[in-house]
Amino acid sequence: MSVINTMIKIFCLLILVLSSLVAKTQPLNIGLIDYPPHIDFDDDIEQSPLYQYINNMLAPAGFTVTFMKLPRERALLELTKGNIDLLLPTTTTIDNKTMKVLPSPLFHSVPGLCFKKENFIPILSATHRLANLTIGAPVNSPLVPALTDSSAKIVLIKGRNAINRGLEMTQRARFDAFYHPSPHKVYHRNNPLYKELACSYFHGYATPIHIAVSNALPISTFNLINTAFDKALLDKSYEYYFASRE
Amino acid sequence: MVYPKKRWVLLILYLVMSFQAAAENIKMKAVINDITKIYMSSMTYIFLNQALINQQAKDKTNLFSQKFIDNIKLTYRAKYNEEFPKDNHFAKKILLQAMVEVMEDNKALIYDDDIGFKGIIPATYAFQISAKLATKGIGLKIRFTRTAESIRNKLNSPDVWEKSIMQEIINAPQIYYDENALLNGKPAIRQFTPLPMTPVCLTCHGTPADNPLNANKNKPQWTDIDISGFKMENWTINDFGGGVSISIEKSFLEQH
Repeated sequence: MSVINTMIKIFCLLILVLSSLVAKTQPLNIGLIDYPPHIDFDDDIEQSPLYQYINNMLAPAGFTVTFMKLPRERALLELTKGNIDLLLPTTTTIDNKTMKVLPSPLFHSVPGLCFKKENFIPILSATHRLANLTIGAPVNSPLVPALTDSSAKIVLIKGRNAINRGLEMTQRARFDAFYHPSPHKVYHRNNPLYKELACSYFHGYATPIHIAVSNALPISTFNLINTAFDKALLDKSYEYYFASRE
Repeated sequence: MVYPKKRWVLLILYLVMSFQAAAENIKMKAVINDITKIYMSSMTYIFLNQALINQQAKDKTNLFSQKFIDNIKLTYRAKYNEEFPKDNHFAKKILLQAMVEVMEDNKALIYDDDIGFKGIIPATYAFQISAKLATKGIGLKIRFTRTAESIRNKLNSPDVWEKSIMQEIINAPQIYYDENALLNGKPAIRQFTPLPMTPVCLTCHGTPADNPLNANKNKPQWTDIDISGFKMENWTINDFGGGVSISIEKSFLEQH
């Protein structure tokens, strides 16, 4: 009888250990950078489509995710220190530093020009229309050939806040247009600037936007996340998820 | 020496393999044909809905998400008088998704009541689809192109294969199919479908008389700049209308 009791106890113990192993989730800290409309710090972050997509992807893969809203510079610092495991969304190079990223991009960003609405040019492949325009551009953003080969006068803006200053100068008609590396960030209906500015795009010059990964992240965790991400993309790409949401 | 029995076996094997190759070829051709027609139907829908795209304060939900796809399906049925193709290949699924993504990319502009002409016309829409598919890195390339000297968007210039095909078919338009082509250095199937010039094309590419901006104006006031800001080319209804060029890597076609 005592043998049977012992066996039952061992069996129960085994079940307990196995169930705790199955239920065990891995904590993951993710830094988020403001990137409207995908991650919009002005709105409830949990309603941001990129937040939801990433959360839906990682939870079934066994991760308990903590999201942190961070300013860009601080986010990069925390990623370098290993205090956050992932950072999104980012380009593969930030401030001339190559980032470690998941190989598949999240989405693509297309550069463009932002105009005061009365000066709007909708089709930027009509480069002859850029002739003699004064166009501001942030000094750290690579310009597309369609712009550099045009006869526009390009004024480079230096400094940390170059994009905001460039947009302001366009609003004040100091520039005819402003070159934005990612106009979607400003030209959306939730932005107050939408009332004054309109942006068009240099289609065909897309830059991939990725999920950056901390160098401190164990390779096994990297592989788990990467597999979950590729599976999610195959099921429904983030771009399609974003475009087809109600 | 090959024995008569062995000869029969070899012959049967050869016939089976030939039939299989032919069947595979027909399947691939069908996929490419479907893609061409879906792509062209969506361009037609964009043309037919210029008023909706450019008007103010309208319910524009027909241009987005699943409703947009449903409308392309309706346009397809009306245009080709046949059912919309079955969703039996990944390439078709990706193409439809790219269409929805492109319209979403343009949403802020389409809903901007302060902008009259949005610049979302069949040619620019088609190029955006091409550019979107290029970012997906799946070995599917679609392009609405024409002869190099007459291309407005230089990024849309024809490649060597397309140039040679257009030279061949410009005077006798017919669908050209090449099952031994290359794309990104990999074996691919390519198809070029010439398009007829239509009155719609001439509103931008024809003569100033075709330009809707000149309607109700005296001739001395006419402009030869079309609504998109380009100089009109003075083409006529008898000119070559360009074509839809589709390339698919064989590995992509076979995998899915």
